[in-house]
Amino acid sequence: QLIDFQWKLGMAVSSDSCRSLKYPYVAVMLKVADHSGQVKNKSFEMTIPQFQNFYRQFKEIAAIIETV
Amino acid sequence: MAGELESCKPLSGLLSGLAQDAFYGHPGITEELLRSQLYPDVPIEEFRPFQAKMRGILKSIASADMDFNQLEAFLTAQTKKQGGITSDQAAVISKFWKSHKTKIRESLMNQSRWDSGLRGLSWRVDGKSQSRHSAEIHTPVAIMELEIGKSGQGILRQDTIHGNNMEL
Repeated sequence: QLIDFQWKLGMAVSSDSCRSLKYPYVAVMLKVADHSGQVKNKSFEMTIPQFQNFYRQFKEIAAIIETV
Repeated sequence: MAGELESCKPLSGLLSGLAQDAFYGHPGITEELLRSQLYPDVPIEEFRPFQAKMRGILKSIASADMDFNQLEAFLTAQTKKQGGITSDQAAVISKFWKSHKTKIRESLMNQSRWDSGLRGLSWRVDGKSQSRHSAEIHTPVAIMELEIGKSGQGILRQDTIHGNNMEL
């Protein structure tokens, strides 16, 4: 079960492999509880296009859940 | 022998090979492989500094994510340097960067992503009529399956989101 959803919009400026990175990304931290109630953190990163797809999916879910 | 290195035909191939090794992380692209495939008549002692120079130039261009103005200025400076490149070589490098820039940049962005990525997302909406834990009747539930993992791995998680709590 989803307990909490945290997000962060970041900009990677530079790295050891590329001095001029200029790469925006969305980082998400999910707090999930399993059947026993134990809470786990899951974090992951998305590129902006990936995030846009992610957001579109959620919008679709929200629309459908209204109609059920 | 110097004439061999100045020839432009194999340079494009060399840049490709160097990019495969430096940016895309392809294993097995050794100095000897590149030499024997592209500059078979050049001895290794001459080839080594030459490919190092080209690799250095390519890395500088990629690291600074040069636009075309910066690229022209940079390559012109390289042609004027002692032990630099010829203007023909500069043209080959310029052409190479223009066609590979996007792909190389994407590869570098992936290299700097150390956290897991979202590799897949699928979902289902259930209209639950009854539940073992609650007496709620007809609570819509969204079940999402997120595939989270680093490249080359995949971890499946399932999260259940209750419909009434969802606000977007």
